[in-house]
Amino acid sequence: MRSRLRVLDSVLLGLRGLASRTARTILTATGIAIGIAAIVAVLGISASGRADLLATLDNLGTNLLRVEPGSGIFGTGSDVPEEAAAMTGRIRPVEQVTQTTRTEASVRRNDLISELETKGITVLAADLDLIDVLRAELAEGRFIDAATSQVPTVVLGDVAAKRLGIVNLDPVPRVYVNDTYFTVIGILEPMEIHPDIERSVVIGYPVAAELFETTRSPTSMYVRSAPDFINDVAEVIPATVNPEQPDAVQVSRPSDALEARKAADEALTNLLIGLGAVALLVAGVAIANIMVISVLERRMEIGVRRAIGATRGHIRIQFLIESMMLAGIGGVLGMVLGAAITVGYAASRNLTVAVPPQGLALSVLAALAIGAVAGLYPAIRASRIPPAEAVRK
Amino acid sequence: MTAVLELSGVSKVYPGPPPVRALDGVDVSIAAGDLVAIIGPSGAGKSTLLHMMGALDRPTDGTIEIDGVDIATLSDRRLSGLRSHRIGFVFQDFFLIEGITATANVAEGLLYRGLGRTERKRRAIVALERVGLGARLDHLPNQLSGGERQRVAIARALVGDPAIVLADEPTGNLDSHTSEEIAELFRGLNADGTTIVVITHDVELASHFPRRVEMRDGRLAEVVA
Ligand SMILES: Nc1ncnc2c1ncn2[C@@H]1O[C@H](COP(=O)(O)OP(=O)(O)O)[C@@H](O)[C@H]1O
Ligand SMILES: [Mg+2]
Repeated sequence: MRSRLRVLDSVLLGLRGLASRTARTILTATGIAIGIAAIVAVLGISASGRADLLATLDNLGTNLLRVEPGSGIFGTGSDVPEEAAAMTGRIRPVEQVTQTTRTEASVRRNDLISELETKGITVLAADLDLIDVLRAELAEGRFIDAATSQVPTVVLGDVAAKRLGIVNLDPVPRVYVNDTYFTVIGILEPMEIHPDIERSVVIGYPVAAELFETTRSPTSMYVRSAPDFINDVAEVIPATVNPEQPDAVQVSRPSDALEARKAADEALTNLLIGLGAVALLVAGVAIANIMVISVLERRMEIGVRRAIGATRGHIRIQFLIESMMLAGIGGVLGMVLGAAITVGYAASRNLTVAVPPQGLALSVLAALAIGAVAGLYPAIRASRIPPAEAVRK
Repeated sequence: MTAVLELSGVSKVYPGPPPVRALDGVDVSIAAGDLVAIIGPSGAGKSTLLHMMGALDRPTDGTIEIDGVDIATLSDRRLSGLRSHRIGFVFQDFFLIEGITATANVAEGLLYRGLGRTERKRRAIVALERVGLGARLDHLPNQLSGGERQRVAIARALVGDPAIVLADEPTGNLDSHTSEEIAELFRGLNADGTTIVVITHDVELASHFPRRVEMRDGRLAEVVA
């Protein structure tokens, strides 16, 4: 003669308990839903953002160095020698070197516009392998080659093209550089870590030398090195390119900016997750509170159940399941809401959606765990009510 | 006749303060097929006695045997098992669960027996027909009269075929006509073989019961007609 409660019946019992107090259930579950939604959305958004960031980092590579003439410790700029690129290429782990030189020329849409209206656009002379070394992409047309670098042709950076009001190559646009019309043969895609090139128009060294007397002394040099030796290469470059004034050479790693953004993103994500966790904690306390009230209100029900044969364990499990389902409902709602926010955000920012399914499952499990912890004390309290007391008026 | 219930020297002291001796050395034996009325003034210890009889509480002193088993030897879990199989309780305030049908309320009486839903429902319908509520199966408690609610509660007590039904002032909230109907129902159920103990302070109602015991200050005495 043992009491026995089927598992399905205990679940249905919990469901009935919640269903008979709809408003209270919804309000209490909302707390959990908000906490879970916040965490899922933050994780989802940062995962989506980071997926793109990592893809960008991966694409651009972290083994690229930029070398520029610095202001030096005495505050005076000094030119980098014309042989700098060749000498840098001789450093053993260096794989590729390319360079650009800022010209004094200014670019305009046509000859009716004043020479002073440069719109912050620089005219750069560049080696033919610039886009190869930078792993840049063309949105339109092609880059300068051996032939086109000899003649007035130009490739526009993304920002420069927009400022000049050029969106495509049909009909073939021309721009006015100093007093020569250049044919636009290509437009570059945006370049996340090379904003200076985005704001430039690029021409070949031969035509630059011919029209603007530009030398091959680089204003920027881009160096790809074997990844493991990147720091060593960065260290020896200054003395290599300018033995007399190594301090006047600045070496930077453009991908550092992305790395820094990644770190900042992660810090922010952790902060927001912390806030979500606090929300969950508060919601858990609210559930415990509601369950305690529920136990007090349902003394009679507890008494009747004990009278018809429920054990203490049956009473305990009933309230525990109720508490877990209450939190679980909130968890599922929060998960759906959080995923929806993530998808919406990713869509609005053109990010790849990266909502990890394990994360979603985990969020519901977390809600259930909160429900279990929050429900434990009320459930034990309910089970300890002496049955004879509970059936007294 | 075999004794379903055997109480000897049962005392119950509520610790207080001040301590209350609700039962003071009660000896009583309930045989299978008995229909017993417990009468006595308020505070005499009737409810306390009923809780002892139904293994809902343990005595401070004395022994209680249900079906020949001394309940002092049973764990709390075993007591629950005993209640689920052998005891049926009926309370003054019916204690039905609002929001579920009469059938569901009666089926609840079998919830802790590990039976399947359909079997519970089938037996609940049989029990409701036994108490004359075959036409009220799907009514909610708040759609039923007081007398009908108490019939549902009685069906819930009967549904598990208990060795004994214990009713604590089942007519306390009912008018005299309805009370008489409930008493009539108990007599009918008893005639079919159910052992029943009913607490009442309605002496008139009790006078129709074949056996009456009277409680006063925690002591019990048979009433001889
Ligand atoms: N939990 C309790 N603690 C202290 N005293 C109690 C408790 N329950 C009942 N009593 C007391 O025990 C006595 C008997 O109560 P009860 O069995 O309910 O009597 P009846 O049902 O005959 O009215 C009363 O004096 C009552 O006040
Ligand atoms: Mg009483």
